Amino acid sequence: MTWQKVLITVFLFYIFALLQNSFFSYFSVFGAVPNLVFILFFLLVFFAKKNQLYQVLFPAICAGFFLDMFSYSYFGKYIILLLIIAILIKKTQSLLKSLDDNFPFIYFLPLFLIYYIIFEIFSSFTFNLGFLATIVYNLIVASGIYFVFKKYGYTKQ
Amino acid sequence: MIGAVALFILLFVLNIFVSPIRNIFYALSFPIQKVFWNAGTSSSTFLGSLLNAGSLNNENNTLKQENQKLLSQVVVLQSLMQGNKAQSDVSAICQNAGFNLVMAGIVGLDDQDILSINKGSIDGISEGMPVINQQGVLFGKVLKVYKNFSQIMLISNKNSVINVKIQQNPTIEEGDVVTNEIIGVVKGSGGQRAYLDLVSISDTINPQDLLVTSAIEKLFPRDLLVAQIKQIQKNDQKPFQSASIQLFLDVKTVDNLFVITNFKR
Repeated sequence: MTWQKVLITVFLFYIFALLQNSFFSYFSVFGAVPNLVFILFFLLVFFAKKNQLYQVLFPAICAGFFLDMFSYSYFGKYIILLLIIAILIKKTQSLLKSLDDNFPFIYFLPLFLIYYIIFEIFSSFTFNLGFLATIVYNLIVASGIYFVFKKYGYTKQ
Repeated sequence: MIGAVALFILLFVLNIFVSPIRNIFYALSFPIQKVFWNAGTSSSTFLGSLLNAGSLNNENNTLKQENQKLLSQVVVLQSLMQGNKAQSDVSAICQNAGFNLVMAGIVGLDDQDILSINKGSIDGISEGMPVINQQGVLFGKVLKVYKNFSQIMLISNKNSVINVKIQQNPTIEEGDVVTNEIIGVVKGSGGQRAYLDLVSISDTINPQDLLVTSAIEKLFPRDLLVAQIKQIQKNDQKPFQSASIQLFLDVKTVDNLFVITNFKR
């Protein structure tokens, strides 16, 4: 990861954090807003190369930092949560059967769903319509960004 | 292992200085966040007008009818309340006068119904202060205060529970004006929604009844507007009834809020 990539990643996380806490508040569905920071974190970890640990840890720390900044609870909660999720994502990916395409959508969708639910449970969990709306809304937005990211954002191994 | 321990120590140290760090972060982000917030306002207004163009006429007619209905109710109430006017005026003065208000601009809203405003401890704001809009609608209370910014826990936050009075139209019994005072609690359910709970099963509540703050817990000034009842859920096997409500707070339509800085709990 070159320093330009690091800077762009930090900048994107920052802008996404600001957007989800301001602009996207106006586009809530049953109170749900897209968690752009988590989506970007998940994509970076999902597409990270297996043997490069810093490509997994850096997005987790960066995303966690910005989520912690906008949170009102203890600083570090999201950094630790995302670090654990990042490691679990790579562990799960290594258990999955290898295909020609290492990062197919068929893997992305269920993995995102599982880890986003885990993230929500540890963030602020109440099972109601808003929770379901959050899951569906984020799944749709993440799926869209996945295809954009796959086309422009990553280079094949 | 060493890395994990170092991270924990670093996070622990950061938590000691988290308030000034967050304050600087918010101060630096404020101009950009304000641009995004304003962009959200104009985009949602534009999209809303496009989506609702067809229903505007119907909505206009409904509002006209509702306005007329309300006006007729006002006339009836005015005649009923004439006798209590002096007393009402006194309580209104007590209610409204003497509150020091600090006007603050909204800069952000997160997915846990925590609102950020651009005023902080240097403006005289401290934790627990009530936050209202210019119509006297309760938004919430100050949760965290930084030097230049504050975070407001909306009454729709999942951790928010407030005591309310259910205001009903006064009735005349044996020549006297009788106003029933029914008590309940409004519990936040996230996503700028909340519900009414813990209303005694023996009390009669109706859709359209207004919910205002009560003075029981002394967290908020009394009689601030909270919500209107939409649908009642009553089960005779339970000691309490609940109801779905429409909160009056609407973050999308206000730019400024007011923090009551001298309300004594």
